[in-house]
Amino acid sequence: MSKARVKITTWTHMRRLIVWQRRSYLVNAFFWTSVFTLPLLRGLIAKAFFDALAQQPAGLNALSFVALTLAVGGASGAVVLGGVIVNAPFRFRIGGLLRRNVFVQLLEKRGAAPLGAPLGDAISTLRDDTDVAVDGVDWSLDILGRTVFIVVALSILFAINARLTALVFIPLSIVLSLTYLLGARLERLRRAARTSTARVTTLIAEMFGSTQSIQVAGAEGRVVAHFKRLGAERQGAVLRDTVTAQALEAIYGNVVSLGTGVILLLVANQMRSGSFTVGDFAVFAAYLSEVAGITQFFGHFLNTYRQTGVSLERMSKLLPENASSHALTIPQAMPLTATARPPRAIPISRDALQTLTVRDLSCTFDNARGIENASFTVRRGSFTVITGRIGSGKTTLLRGVLGLLERTAGEVLWNGAIADTLEPPRVAYTAQNPTLLSDTILENILLGEEVDSGRLERSIHAAVLEADIPNFELGLQTQIGAKGVKLSGGQLSRVAAARMLYREAELLVFDDLSSALDVGTEQLLWERLAQVKATALVVSHRRAALQRADQIVLLGDGRVTAIGSLEHLLAHYPEMQRLWSGEL
Amino acid sequence: MPAAPSPQKSLPLREYWALLRTYLLPQRGTVVLMAVSLTLSIALTLVGPQIVRFFLDSAQAKRPESELLTAAGLFILSSVAQQGLAVLASYAATRVGWSATNNLRADLVEHCLKLDLSFHKSRTPGELIERVDGDVSTLSVFFSNLTIDLIGNALLLTGVLVVMWLEDWRVGLSLTVFAALTLLAFNAVRGLATPHWKRDRELSAQFYGFLGETLQAREDIRSLGASGWAHDGLMKRWQAWYPARRDGSVYGVTMWVVFIWSFAIGEALVFGVGSALYAQRAFSLGTVYLIFQYTALLAEPLEQIRTQLEQLQKADAGIARIAELMATKSVLRDGAGANWRSGAALEVSVQNLSFAYPADSNKVTSSHTDVSDADPSDTNSSETLANDNVLEELSFTLQAGRVLGLLGRTGSGKTTLARLMMRFYDPQRGAVLLDGIDLRDARLEQVRDRVTLVTQNIELLSASVRDNLTFFDPSIADETLWDALERVGLRGWARGLDLGLDTTVESGALSGGESQLLAFARVFLRDPGLIVLDEASSKLDPATEALLERAMTELLRGRTAIIIAHRLKTIERADDILILERGRVLETGTRKALMANPDSVFSALRRKGLDEVLA
Repeated sequence: MSKARVKITTWTHMRRLIVWQRRSYLVNAFFWTSVFTLPLLRGLIAKAFFDALAQQPAGLNALSFVALTLAVGGASGAVVLGGVIVNAPFRFRIGGLLRRNVFVQLLEKRGAAPLGAPLGDAISTLRDDTDVAVDGVDWSLDILGRTVFIVVALSILFAINARLTALVFIPLSIVLSLTYLLGARLERLRRAARTSTARVTTLIAEMFGSTQSIQVAGAEGRVVAHFKRLGAERQGAVLRDTVTAQALEAIYGNVVSLGTGVILLLVANQMRSGSFTVGDFAVFAAYLSEVAGITQFFGHFLNTYRQTGVSLERMSKLLPENASSHALTIPQAMPLTATARPPRAIPISRDALQTLTVRDLSCTFDNARGIENASFTVRRGSFTVITGRIGSGKTTLLRGVLGLLERTAGEVLWNGAIADTLEPPRVAYTAQNPTLLSDTILENILLGEEVDSGRLERSIHAAVLEADIPNFELGLQTQIGAKGVKLSGGQLSRVAAARMLYREAELLVFDDLSSALDVGTEQLLWERLAQVKATALVVSHRRAALQRADQIVLLGDGRVTAIGSLEHLLAHYPEMQRLWSGEL
Repeated sequence: MPAAPSPQKSLPLREYWALLRTYLLPQRGTVVLMAVSLTLSIALTLVGPQIVRFFLDSAQAKRPESELLTAAGLFILSSVAQQGLAVLASYAATRVGWSATNNLRADLVEHCLKLDLSFHKSRTPGELIERVDGDVSTLSVFFSNLTIDLIGNALLLTGVLVVMWLEDWRVGLSLTVFAALTLLAFNAVRGLATPHWKRDRELSAQFYGFLGETLQAREDIRSLGASGWAHDGLMKRWQAWYPARRDGSVYGVTMWVVFIWSFAIGEALVFGVGSALYAQRAFSLGTVYLIFQYTALLAEPLEQIRTQLEQLQKADAGIARIAELMATKSVLRDGAGANWRSGAALEVSVQNLSFAYPADSNKVTSSHTDVSDADPSDTNSSETLANDNVLEELSFTLQAGRVLGLLGRTGSGKTTLARLMMRFYDPQRGAVLLDGIDLRDARLEQVRDRVTLVTQNIELLSASVRDNLTFFDPSIADETLWDALERVGLRGWARGLDLGLDTTVESGALSGGESQLLAFARVFLRDPGLIVLDEASSKLDPATEALLERAMTELLRGRTAIIIAHRLKTIERADDILILERGRVLETGTRKALMANPDSVFSALRRKGLDEVLA
């Protein structure tokens, strides 16, 4: 399945983003080119002023210079303001598109397949690497404006004194190009700095995800000590990175001073003779530092460009293997204000369940825990229980059946037709540790489905949640999660069950829902499901479930040991007896 | 730790100072190095234009070429020296800045880890990452900028003005007025963007909170066909974020615009004043150029002060939030200390205990959480009503070394009681006493040392198996670890790992049951006097659970234990039974006595099942 993805160059991605935002890009280009070229006028005004001063010491009309300077300054400020106003939505859209595209692709991944990076890393990639990429695109505007500046500035200087221009600027560009080569080293250092930064971020995430365990173990001090160690490593890496960057900056700074010094050396004689004026010197000095600054920016941009490549690569790594190479930069409408939501794509047809056949299914999780050659059939209206001791592969089997994990062999047939993934309205699923989101209970149940009070009532009732809801201050509108109320483990499981039932799917799949429920609630849940004649596929080792089962799939070491009724399995399989008798 | 004043203040100068004092003082040496190299480099910056003036005037006066060449050489030398010193200064500054922020970060982490659970239950890991990493990183900019650039630039600014005054009082005066007005203008627009940046950070935290949460719930979302909903939710938060980002950028750039305008005025000033003084023969052409250059030199500090103040705007918000976090005190105060004997079982005595969850702990902050991260709290839904007690006038005594089976329906207060045993919360009335000592009189670390809790939600770090067992305690020998793994039946599993105990535990690498076994192994590494097992074996299948029973016998020997269960099977080893109902004792007694009495609730439970009786 894993076709090697065609690698797309940084430039292709950038071009696609620019083409996508072409109008905005052009408007931005106009403003930012103005921002960078207006200083040309300032240099020329300074030259004219000093030349005029030297020629007519007494009767200089300084007022025109004052007015001119103020006008150019006023215009410069105005284009900067305009530039930012057009730049803000431009940057925000590009960052938004990249984040959205990665996010959509991550949701496309098989739900139980690994994310490709620890969650903290993935989030930091989506946050920071995206910003780097946005800089890469955005700064191409600066490059444009600054290039225009350099071309015009060099033409002006060349006209004033061609020999001097060549003597000063040619070696200057060579030195600056050479220092660019040092940038490769800088990139290495930067990568090291980022890696150690990611380690710190991951640890912070985990510390705050495991606070209770850390407190129970009284390990706060030790964990902080570990954190400090990682922090010190990070500091070393960052310091190496920063100091190298600063040394590079210093070279640029020296180049300007040396350049000015060289001008002074070269023009000493001409100045004495008056063939090189103070005004000429003023414009040379002014453009010299601007040009060096710009060349420095070019180096900076090239590094950012390289970094953009690294960041895009990191984003691509998060994508599923079968995602298109262009997936990162697929254009989308990105309205900045809320718009009427377009109607959802029509879901796959319901296709009422007759039989679900699992045939020779093999599937692994994390290359370790696996299921091999599992086969069984679920018929409409039946109650199937998958059981086995821990590590026997129960969850992996369910995930394989649902297509939440990649299947390595075998197939799953829905009414005889091959089904890659099973989702509502065919199948709905509640995981072993269901995750709810920080939102209202209602929103958690709906997850985007239309509100239907009858359906809502039915699913809340079937999930044995009806007694809890009135106890919440705002009923179904109660916020849960950090912002709102805490749910108990049982409540959490039952909200998750209601969320699943609301989908009114043909087949209900529970992964050991009962471990968070007490026996009575569990009994009630199964009874209510039986009342609505639901077809269910359930992982459990509880008697309440086993007694109810039409068939039991007994797993051992990733293989189906036996399939049959409880009596049959109890009579013939000691493993089943052990599982059964473990219970009171 | 700086005492954090009210977080609402808009210009927390005192907070800056407190931060600086706390985190820079330990690095005096580097700070001095930085100061010296900084001062020298600024002095040399001021010398450069003087040489150029000398050069220009000498050229105008047609003085010998050798003099001009000497001046040019001197200029080059002083510039190179200046650059070198600047690098040294900024190296020192970065070092100082990073050490300071690293320390601050560690202090924050420590502070947060020690805060009570009501704090952690009301915040997501994502939000705390943003505080500890995001905000603090903004501060690292603040530290190095404030130390080197802001102070350095202030020095340069002063230097330029002093030289101008020495040159001519009229020029000195006009440039001083100019610089003062420029700074005033900057200050006027400086605060404009702060509220927008603060809002920007909040909204970005919400955006990433949702993103993280949905990625964590990927399996649920995929299998429920809710990808479209997740996408729309993300876009909604993105759109809500934009106005703050836009306003922050636009208001933020007003500084730059004001800067450009001021400098146009400054340059115009030089042209006006310079040409007037030149006309009066008060100035040479070189001196006019000198003023021109010094005015440009003013641009650098004023410009940089501009960007630094912009950074400060961002840092302001960060500092306010960090101060807020630092000001959050754990509601649990350490007591004087208890003299519990190590290695001995503890007697538990609960006296008139009443407890309700603090009302505001549910609603403190604006953030997201992952509900699944929260412990399955065994509290009933009345917990949402602030004044309803989860536990009501509860009293019982458990003698040292005995095992108590704690039964009750969902919501009867079992988990809450377990949390009070660990002193995650303090009761509103009554007390929990261990060996006659109120938990509030002991130090928190003593409680955590002598009491341990295993819940059904196991938190694993993506660190090595060893670190997950010991929580980074290097003093525990490997044999001890293997022994603990052996006792819980995980030795075989651990032997099969590529790197043994050094194998990194990735999330999802262990099944629910195996994680639970690992949590049991953690207990074997410690020597608590009281063990609380809260539904600790619920994820184990019966066969594995039986395996663990043996280990448990050994673990509980010589210790007091409270075992919470929904199922009767789990508490077969209990000496005493306590049945809770709505936070009150429904029945209590020794297990044998209750079994012998056919009229007891416990006997009824054994006959009919837990829920039928208690319903």
